[in-house]
Amino acid sequence: MAKNQIRIVDTDIHETAQYKDILKYLDEPFKHYIQNCGWIQEKHMPYTQPTVAGVNRADAIVPDGRQAGSDLSFMQEQLLDDIGHEYGILTSALDPSPSSMHGWYEMATALASAYNDWQIEEWLEKDDRLYGSVHIAAQDRDAAIKEIERVGSHPKMVQVLLPIDDILWGDPFYHPIFEAAEKHNLMIGMHHNEPPVYYGKWPRYFIEWHTLIPTAHMKQITNMIFNGVFDKFPNLGLMMIEGGFTWVPHIMWKMDQQYRDLRHEVPWLKRKPSDIFKQQIRVTTQPAEELTKQEFNSLIEQMGTDDILCFSTDYPHWDYDSPTRALPNMDPERKKKIFAENARAFYPKLP
Amino acid sequence: MKEQVVCKTNDIEPGDMKAANFGKQNVLVCRTLDGEFYAFLNQCTHQGAPLDKGMICGATTDDSQPGDYHYCRKGEIIRCPWHGREFDIKNEGRMLANPDKRLPSYKVRVENEEVIVYK
Ligand code: FES
Repeated sequence: MAKNQIRIVDTDIHETAQYKDILKYLDEPFKHYIQNCGWIQEKHMPYTQPTVAGVNRADAIVPDGRQAGSDLSFMQEQLLDDIGHEYGILTSALDPSPSSMHGWYEMATALASAYNDWQIEEWLEKDDRLYGSVHIAAQDRDAAIKEIERVGSHPKMVQVLLPIDDILWGDPFYHPIFEAAEKHNLMIGMHHNEPPVYYGKWPRYFIEWHTLIPTAHMKQITNMIFNGVFDKFPNLGLMMIEGGFTWVPHIMWKMDQQYRDLRHEVPWLKRKPSDIFKQQIRVTTQPAEELTKQEFNSLIEQMGTDDILCFSTDYPHWDYDSPTRALPNMDPERKKKIFAENARAFYPKLP
Repeated sequence: MKEQVVCKTNDIEPGDMKAANFGKQNVLVCRTLDGEFYAFLNQCTHQGAPLDKGMICGATTDDSQPGDYHYCRKGEIIRCPWHGREFDIKNEGRMLANPDKRLPSYKVRVENEEVIVYK
């Protein structure tokens, strides 16, 4: 990107593993179930993704036919070198990561460990620009904490990718996970995955589901803020990934207004909800709606700060955002913050 | 007026498309099922994706109702490889969901089995 000299920090890049790639990192008997019994995770999304190449950009399929996102050198060529990334954060939440797996806690735990080892060895240690996310299977909380202890101190792991389940994250069940993350200077990342956003089921059309993804982000934020998580863990930060950002002023205003009326119920809150948001929550930009420069600036003004947004491409997925085309022009200082500095300030382990 | 041979007619089967260079510009040469040729700038108007990596397909029509899809116009619609926007080859490259937007187009003629793009 010649006319844009900012070297970007991309907060959402999807690397992809096939089950066979992680076999060598898996213990028995889990390896056996995959290798000999053909076990794979059960998936529920009822749609064929109504795009040209399913979940991926059609031009991101590896030239030899392998799945998009599965080959580091092609990712380097098409994304990291081409755009000139300074850093990219890996966030793949697709299986074999157990991010949307329920049941069989032991298998889920083993998959998370194998995935982390694969990610470290095959990606983080092979490209200086790539930083990673610790995958866990939180349904077995103690095992998840062990996994954070095991790989969380790796210098290139910057966050824990916490799977979404039917217990919201403000619940005390999750607090020991936050404690472990805080201890290792890891932030918490939320990337939506299989769990539906629609009364526990899937809507009829993909377009409805995809439109409503940010409601999952709003639910989790509201729950964590009003349950006092951010005062209990003052060094914890939450990165809300792949929900876009035009909803941010709405949820800030709504929470502040509700707090003025109903403070009596949540007396433990020490700060206005929108202040907690500004200090401890960050939001990745993709998938960006098409806004004019004026609309974009007005939205930032409504947020009260330009510290919150962190640019992301979501490469190699179909709804990829181009660093030169997805957001309107903005003044150079703001651009620098959104494309690099906000993420750098947020992740303590990012140089 | 600038013109250039971009390929032979049999380089592109009906219902197919291919990127070609027209001077400094990258153009998308499309051939509809009736054998006609069309050319557009090979760059999506949305975020600039290379359209030749997408596909030529048909369209679900506005006669469709929930529960009842009507699909036709096979070989006449370019679908972007990224966000899937659809452009109508036979209607000046206009976007189906927003016909005010269209792909910049070029004139095309065929002479002696050669496809010639010109402004
Ligand atoms: S770049 Fe073509 S639809 Fe977005």
